[in-house]
Amino acid sequence: MTPVNFPLPNVVPLIPEMFVATMAMFILMLDLFLAKEKKVWGGYLAILTCVAAGGLTLMVGSAESVSAFYGFFVLDAFSSYAKLLIYAGTALAVILSLDYIKEEFGVGEYYTLMLFAMLGMMIMASAPNFVTMYLGLELMALCTYVLVGFQRDVLRSSEAGLKYFILGSLASGFLLYGISFLYGVTGSFDFATVGSGIAHSGSGARFAVLLGLVFVIAGLAFKISLAPFHMWTPDAYEGAPTPITAFMSVAPKVAGLVILIRVLVDALPSLQVEYITIFSWLAVLSMAVGNLAAIAQRNIKRMLAYSTIGHVGFIMLGVIAGNADGYAGVLVYMTIYLFMSMGAFAVIVLMNREGIQGELLDDFAGLSKVRPGYALAMGLYLFSLAGIPFLGGFWAKYVVFIAAIESGHLYLAIIALLFSVVGAFYYIRVVKYIYFDDQRVEFNFVENRLMQATVAVTAVAVVAIGIFPQPVINICKAALGGII
Amino acid sequence: MLNTTELLAIPALPLIASLIVGLFGWALKEKLSHTITTGSVILSAVLSVHVFTQVLGGASFYGNFWTWMLSDTFVVPVGMMIDQLTAIMMITVTVVSACVHIYTIGYMHGDPGYSRFFSYISGFTFSMLVLVMGNNFFTLFFGWEAVGLVSYLLIGFWFNRESANFAALKAFIVNRVGDFGFLVGILAIWYYFGSFDYREVFAAVPAFVAQGDTLHLFSWEMSAITFICLSLFIGAMGKSGQVPLHVWLPDSMEGPTPISALIHAATMVTAGVFMVARCSPMFEYSETALAAVILVGAVTAWMCATIGLVQNDIKRVIAYSTCSQLGYMFVACGVSAYSVGIFHLMTHAYFKALLFLAAGSVIHAVMAEQDIRKMGQLRKYMPITYITMLIAALALSGVPPFAGFWSKDLIIESVGVRELGWIGDFAYFAVLSGVFMTAFYTFRMFFLTFHNSNRVPEKTRSHLHESPKVITIPLMILAVGAFASGAWGVLGLDIANPEIVNGYFGTSLFVLDVHNPLLAIAEEGHHAWYHFVFSAPFWLAIGGIGLAFAMYFRETDMPGKLATAAKPVYTFLLNKWYWDELYERILMRPAQCLGNILWQKGDLGMIDKGIIHGGVVGGVLAGMTRMRDAQTGYVYHYAFAMVIGVFGALTYLVLKG
Repeated sequence: MTPVNFPLPNVVPLIPEMFVATMAMFILMLDLFLAKEKKVWGGYLAILTCVAAGGLTLMVGSAESVSAFYGFFVLDAFSSYAKLLIYAGTALAVILSLDYIKEEFGVGEYYTLMLFAMLGMMIMASAPNFVTMYLGLELMALCTYVLVGFQRDVLRSSEAGLKYFILGSLASGFLLYGISFLYGVTGSFDFATVGSGIAHSGSGARFAVLLGLVFVIAGLAFKISLAPFHMWTPDAYEGAPTPITAFMSVAPKVAGLVILIRVLVDALPSLQVEYITIFSWLAVLSMAVGNLAAIAQRNIKRMLAYSTIGHVGFIMLGVIAGNADGYAGVLVYMTIYLFMSMGAFAVIVLMNREGIQGELLDDFAGLSKVRPGYALAMGLYLFSLAGIPFLGGFWAKYVVFIAAIESGHLYLAIIALLFSVVGAFYYIRVVKYIYFDDQRVEFNFVENRLMQATVAVTAVAVVAIGIFPQPVINICKAALGGII
Repeated sequence: MLNTTELLAIPALPLIASLIVGLFGWALKEKLSHTITTGSVILSAVLSVHVFTQVLGGASFYGNFWTWMLSDTFVVPVGMMIDQLTAIMMITVTVVSACVHIYTIGYMHGDPGYSRFFSYISGFTFSMLVLVMGNNFFTLFFGWEAVGLVSYLLIGFWFNRESANFAALKAFIVNRVGDFGFLVGILAIWYYFGSFDYREVFAAVPAFVAQGDTLHLFSWEMSAITFICLSLFIGAMGKSGQVPLHVWLPDSMEGPTPISALIHAATMVTAGVFMVARCSPMFEYSETALAAVILVGAVTAWMCATIGLVQNDIKRVIAYSTCSQLGYMFVACGVSAYSVGIFHLMTHAYFKALLFLAAGSVIHAVMAEQDIRKMGQLRKYMPITYITMLIAALALSGVPPFAGFWSKDLIIESVGVRELGWIGDFAYFAVLSGVFMTAFYTFRMFFLTFHNSNRVPEKTRSHLHESPKVITIPLMILAVGAFASGAWGVLGLDIANPEIVNGYFGTSLFVLDVHNPLLAIAEEGHHAWYHFVFSAPFWLAIGGIGLAFAMYFRETDMPGKLATAAKPVYTFLLNKWYWDELYERILMRPAQCLGNILWQKGDLGMIDKGIIHGGVVGGVLAGMTRMRDAQTGYVYHYAFAMVIGVFGALTYLVLKG
């Protein structure tokens, strides 16, 4: 009988994950002991957790790819950079929640759920096989279902949560179904093994492989709101508490895109021709849906939901390019999108004390006369989202468009360009409301220093990246070193 | 080698001051605004003088600092070239600018746009310094456009006056014509030489000329070098107010007077002359271009002088005089006496700035009245303005030993010694008769303002007073320049001293020996100091002043009689040779007509109604409605969309094989 050999796995790469999990539970416990007016401390602690996790990730991270837990976890520059974006997105969303959630019931659960969602994304970012990926994805998804429907007594919110849950379950089903086909063909969950298995599988397995490919793509496309798997997005965005809308607009998208790239690069490289075709259609459809439907919206959260769908369509150009420049473009895009989107939502939250105001486009009328600072910042985000040079959003589009053109997808770049012209309309329409229209409703601003600082920082970042894009591009290219 | 930091500081100081005051002027008190800008420009002037002394000692600088633009082989560096030509421009620009800054403190006091004004003039100083200090054609172009922009902003400074807006637009549009030519010239340089760098281009010129490239412009064959030089010169004509692009300069007097002094007399308008001198290694190889320079300069010198004879607006008299004097400078450059042209540029800067500032002081005293017919006897009220203006007037008229005499005399002599056929003869006639007219109109204006009878309206009369020190001190500083810069230039610096060919300027200007009029003058032999007594220009100037004295020193009926006797001529001159009317007929109206057609039929009719509202908007709206309606709110519709998506993708892939 051979002695059982079970050494302690190398846990160092997982320190940030373990830290976040511990803190999430700690905040849940702490909340029980906090007086009602001190509940906001849970939020501050959550922000600190994100910041500290950032520090830990920088400490444990390395340019080399480190594997842990017998190939169930990987730490490389790619996942580290994605995690930093996820922390930033989460921390900013928590900041936006501080005033919004304070009066509500169950504050501690709220921040705990956000941190667990973040943990799920972190696991996704570091997943080297389908099991870990699914684990992280479901952890994230379950938390966000609850967060979307967090305002239980508001019909709109609970409806959104329920819809999101049902469709999310369907998407999970797709994903698992797809994974099962790939497992059936190759006998493994590990991305790299699946990749080589598919490459060596005979033509008899071709149909099973295609089934796997399409269902996996569908499951992941749901998470990143790629049309036609996007339908939940506008309803969920509108119904969710605004900070959660902000949260969902960035961090889960980062996690979803990162795992998508990893799956494509490691597990499905031999199907590149096939998935590029699929993604080309999905990208065009997303751009069309996002940019056209946004024009019809009167609610800014819904408008930004469609805007996200449109932007994901643009981002897919980087994935379609299918090379280092393209994937780096995806990271660049997400980095810049983080600032634009979070900034825009911060302004919405600042205008939105009672949970209603600041959601309709009309509510922004005349903002420039009352709060020129907010108006200017909002104008910058919107112009940046529209891709006006020289703001960050211009370079975001520029890098993915160039990557698409250089990899031979000129027609897609032209379509994207035309849709970004259409998109400019509804962004700039809001600027028109802000600057040229007369005030229609009484403004009632939230006065919160941290939120105001968020607005200032994101606005400066949008301008600064617009003028000096090269550092961001360089960092993103370096972050890609681990996987390509 | 000059200190790089010092060189960079010279343009950087006014730029930083301009940005601070421009961006935060609303929060700054008047005192802080002018302290920041004036202080930085004075510092810049001190540094420029320091650089100038080093250049006198033989130092120079040439180098690139950073890359501005890079696209394949198209490289635009930002660099400087400091030599004798640059150094003398630098001191001229900064010293006059510093005087104008100080003067402005008094002149613009209480104006609501006080900070804005200071921001503009400091920004102008920066732009002008970039223009003269750059080491390639692109920095030259940057400065060229930047000064044009500031000029536009300042002419329309009082933007609630319709006439000011009109004048600003006029200046901008007329300059566009010139700048287009200029840009064509610069791009032609890029096309033929593959570089913007002064040194590289100039070094390549002789070989390029020997190669003999020609090009056909309409059915006119010309050498490439002539094409380049003519294109560049079109730019100079626009910027320096040469016929037929001179029409904007007199109208630019709508701007505040300090601007007229700084931009529209002393510095910006001389950029054209500077550019021609800088490009002397190219112009020297094109007889055609040089002839064009002489012809345009001579026509302008003469024509604008005739218009100046009858104008009644004190600033317009000086403005036409500026056009005319710029014509002199171009004539000098055209006969290859570049050093003399630049020399006249410098002396002119001092005495013309002084003339304008003194006029501003007068205008200030008579409550913004600019009509010299409503002045008179002002010498009693404002002695300092009177004396300084007299010095400027004598300098402008070319009376020894004032500055203008030295430079103008050399120009006329240079034209005289060159054998250039009918163009040369005409130029000689123009500059000689110009001297007489210049002296006449200058002193006509001077006597009507300070002597003659007191025609100031009763209401204003009690207000008459000498301007405060902050205005008179710059006048006195400039008076020193207007008095001494000529003699200093010839005797002290050997600028254009016939004894020492190319004296001060050394290699910074290039002249072929066969062209050099200074060599010819030197061959004629040494002139005694009293030589001027035997020269025509001196007596013409005296004659002009004498005639003005007879007609205007006391109130006489001579001017009225003369105007009636020669009514057609008088009206013709009073209406400025009908240039504005001509342009309105042949350019403005057809352009407006064409614009109307394109706007109504093309833009509104075809594009807006046809393409946008017909096609694009309809398509987008239809797509929008479809997308919006697809979002029904039913979960099973959403799930259906997902299933269809998967099914569609699978079907496609399977069918494709």
